[in-house]
Amino acid sequence: MIRILWSVLLCVAAVWFPLAVARVFLDTPIEREMGTVQKIFYFHVPMAWCMMLAAIVSGVAAAVQLLRNSRRAEALSLAAGEVVLVTGLCVLLTGPIWGHATWGTPWTWDARQVSTALLFLVFCAFVLLRTQGAAGTERLAAGLAAFGALDVPVIYYAVKVWKTTHPTTDVVGTLPPSMWRTLFFALAPIAACVAGLVAVRYHVERAEQQLDDLFLARSDPASS
Amino acid sequence: MRGLRQTLLLARNDLLQEVRHLEVLATALFFDVVVLALFGVGFGTLRGEALRASLPAMLWLSVAFVGSLALTRLFEREREHETFVALLVAPVERLAIYGAKALVGTCVVVACAAVQLAGLRFLFPEAAALFDRPLLLALLVVGASLAYVAVGAVFASALATDRTRGVLLGVVLYPLTAPVLLFALVATRALIEGHAKAAVYVGQVWAVAVLLLSMATFVFESVVVPIPSGRTQRRRR
Repeated sequence: MIRILWSVLLCVAAVWFPLAVARVFLDTPIEREMGTVQKIFYFHVPMAWCMMLAAIVSGVAAAVQLLRNSRRAEALSLAAGEVVLVTGLCVLLTGPIWGHATWGTPWTWDARQVSTALLFLVFCAFVLLRTQGAAGTERLAAGLAAFGALDVPVIYYAVKVWKTTHPTTDVVGTLPPSMWRTLFFALAPIAACVAGLVAVRYHVERAEQQLDDLFLARSDPASS
Repeated sequence: MRGLRQTLLLARNDLLQEVRHLEVLATALFFDVVVLALFGVGFGTLRGEALRASLPAMLWLSVAFVGSLALTRLFEREREHETFVALLVAPVERLAIYGAKALVGTCVVVACAAVQLAGLRFLFPEAAALFDRPLLLALLVVGASLAYVAVGAVFASALATDRTRGVLLGVVLYPLTAPVLLFALVATRALIEGHAKAAVYVGQVWAVAVLLLSMATFVFESVVVPIPSGRTQRRRR
């Protein structure tokens, strides 16, 4: 079931993404003030939304893992956590490119930039703990992901609470219809790709867990 | 009520130990003084706007380091004497253990922040603006220290258990507490500038503190004590 799900999601993303790129560059009007560089907005913003969603999924799954000792939740938390790294890296690469063209500097140390970078760092630490930590660090890593997800509201409200160089959260509503339609058209393949990647990693992690259980059962039959 | 009584008893015990040996406080205060001396030498030539912009960073940077030092020491003492495991198996509510550690940790961090503030006031005349609204300043320091320790105590206690002690607290703690420090930094800058909304910024720090404290109480037991499932030991590839 999971295999079919991720296959479909990744196929949809592979077919849809080139269409989205064509629509962004050929069918959407060029923004008057920023010019062609504004096109990065159609990839940067969906990527940031996906990063925040993946962080929330990872955090909630980690909390469920801690409270119920659920192996499925553990696998989902790790899968979503790794996807936060990928999407976070894309956000932190596309943001400064856009910032350099519009603000004249790639990094202004505004609250949204800093909190996004921190979310990325938290999930770097989470993945490091999961991959390099000793046995027993799973719970510690889960706690880290659960707390790390609390950074998402900070990112969202950073532009409302503090004066920042980032546009406010209601900017999407003020866009001309042609632009916000393209934004959601570009969001679909990116979201499908992200969901597909989470599903693939979840599938692999579950397989690893089952392999671990088999290994333990074989090496110590009394424990099974 | 029982939990609160246990928390206060455990905190009293920790504070008594601390008063007798001054282990955590002496180390943290010594670090505080060294950092102050470095700030004095390094930023002594700064004046005006540049110095006002640097003061919040000086304060919260030292609080961050002192906090991690204090938390490490607080749990290291338990680990050295193998009393933390004893505490976990004792007929005491686990949240009371967390509450006591968080309370003692907050006291130590607040004490160090107070020394740091006094030192900054002594070294840099521009820091006097911080003391124009002493109640707000006190609320800010206590709120931010509580938020910092709320997160730190969970992970420091998890690291105090045998299997995870090799993992550095800093790797976990600094990225997680950075949003707290960010809120505290903005509030401190507002206090220095005499901003009309300074009280709102301090309120935000307290909101973060309450949020983190709630989350910490929610996950503490699960992070520190594994739920037995019979299959918790995993093969590490």
